[in-house]
Amino acid sequence: MEAGKNLSSSRPIKVLLAKPAIDGHDRGIFVLARALRDAGMDVIYAGLLPTPEQVVDIAISEDVDVIGLSLLNGAHMTAFKKVVDLLKERGVDDIAVVGGGIIPDDDKPKLEAIGVTGNYGPGTPLPP
Amino acid sequence: MDTRSIIEGIASHDPRIIARAISIIEEDNERSYEIIRAIYGMTGHAHILGITGPPGVGKSTMIGILSRKLTEMGKKVSILAVDASSPFSGGTILGNRIRMQDTLSKYGIYMRSVSNRGMTGGLSRSTWNMVKILDAAGNDFIIIETVGAGQSDIDIVYLADTVIVTLAPGLGDSIQAIKSGMMEIGDIFVINKMDREDSFFALKDIMDNVYERNGWMPRVVGTNSLKGEGYGELIRAIEEHRVFTEKNDGKKKIRYREEVRLALSRIIDRSVWREFGRFLENGEIDGYYDEHVDPNTVAMEIFRENSAFAHSHSVEGRVES
Ligand code: B12
Ligand SMILES: Nc1nc2c(ncn2[C@@H]2O[C@H](COP(=O)(O)OP(=O)(O)O)[C@@H](O)[C@H]2O)c(=O)[nH]1
Ligand SMILES: [Mg+2]
Repeated sequence: MEAGKNLSSSRPIKVLLAKPAIDGHDRGIFVLARALRDAGMDVIYAGLLPTPEQVVDIAISEDVDVIGLSLLNGAHMTAFKKVVDLLKERGVDDIAVVGGGIIPDDDKPKLEAIGVTGNYGPGTPLPP
Repeated sequence: MDTRSIIEGIASHDPRIIARAISIIEEDNERSYEIIRAIYGMTGHAHILGITGPPGVGKSTMIGILSRKLTEMGKKVSILAVDASSPFSGGTILGNRIRMQDTLSKYGIYMRSVSNRGMTGGLSRSTWNMVKILDAAGNDFIIIETVGAGQSDIDIVYLADTVIVTLAPGLGDSIQAIKSGMMEIGDIFVINKMDREDSFFALKDIMDNVYERNGWMPRVVGTNSLKGEGYGELIRAIEEHRVFTEKNDGKKKIRYREEVRLALSRIIDRSVWREFGRFLENGEIDGYYDEHVDPNTVAMEIFRENSAFAHSHSVEGRVES
């Protein structure tokens, strides 16, 4: 037991990081996991190859604030959309969805339009 | 969501509401105590299984298999898995889920990743009340994975009805060190990774070192989690211990006493922090710099001048004339 600290009645931001399609590029998501941890957040990594259904199940069970989706394989338009659709289907409206990976500029407004913000690419600066 | 709907949601086993309730519990404030107060009458059914042991021995993998087998037997199972937060940022990478996700999805088992929020002892302060939520939600078994810091993961002894200490061959000399802290806490010992070389030596080593405690002779079981071997025996051992604890009034009183102790220590921490937190956090102590007075004396001065408590009591170390 350690007394004194951690007595505040708030919890840190909780983020689920996932790659919801067949994409083995996991370096970026690991870098991101550590960066978010170092920024004081709780981070769950959903593992390689979870389905969009699994991503949504995990987000609900863990009651996360943010889902971060990362794909470098070009499947973002279908896979990110599937996650957003499933959230809507299940009546979840209080989880933010943020995207990243190899996302062509043309796709960014389309993703924004369905509620996937950010869409960061290679070289995204992270807090030190 | 109002407190009433949350309590109703727990009673009707609604997974979305259970998830939200656990978040409120994690905030560890008045609202969380209110919820616990309201659901307390619904608790007491679940058998609490604590899984502890050094990092990497296969605790999460084991929980995946165990929860599947118990579910197949018709039991309702939920899981809490605790990870350590970073001492620098307070953030946490919650990495236990990944080992069991396939089972969880397939069988619809509820699992929640928990940060220890800087607590030593292998659990977070709020783990105890999270267990109550899951208990009230009608689970037969609640499985808890501790941080896995080895010898210091001892709070699970008070929380769990059955403590399973998991070890694996290849821990080398550290197994000796671990044993010194862990032989006392296990009701069941599992040697996982029985596919590995030297696993039978490890198994025998533990068998030679267990001893009867409070009328229970700990069981020693070998498992190979890659093949799912040994789990029939493990489940038998759990069942035997469950029956044993029920006959012997179990851990209920021990757990209750520990929870009162924890709650009281939290109340004390909070009230002391309320009085003195400003000195420790907001740089108010900067004004006290005096090269001629030693730091301990300064600290005692601050305490004496600012504490309503100290005015009516003698303070440790205070020079009474
Ligand atoms: C390293 C690499 C590999 C490694 C991956 C190792 C690993 N375990 O990760 C290996 C060699 C295995 C590999 C294989 C392949 N690769 Co490759 N690979 C790369 C490369 C060179 C760098 C990726 C990387 O690791 N970057 C470093 C990390 C830290 O950065 P990052 O992933 O971009 O992440 C950052 C940001 O994007 C952002 N970010 C990313 N996701 C998210 C999410 C959120 C929520 C947020 C906020 C931010 C964020 O933050 C991160 C930190 O700054 C890229 C080219 C490139 N320049 O991106 C090609 C690239 C991704 N690969 C590509 C391809 C085609 C493949 C292969 C199919 C075969 C091939 N031609 O090489 C295979 C498929 C592998 C598989 N099974 O999926 C293509 C993809 C083309 C496309 N999408 O149209 C790329 C773009 C190369 C190219 N120009 O053709 N690859
Ligand atoms: N060879 C072998 N590896 C195992 C066994 N059980 C688990 N593992 C592996 O051991 C590693 C750590 O497992 P994990 O469950 O995360 O351990 P934890 O840190 O104790 O929770 C993973 O790579 C598992 O795949 C087993 O029975 N045999
Ligand atoms: Mg683990």
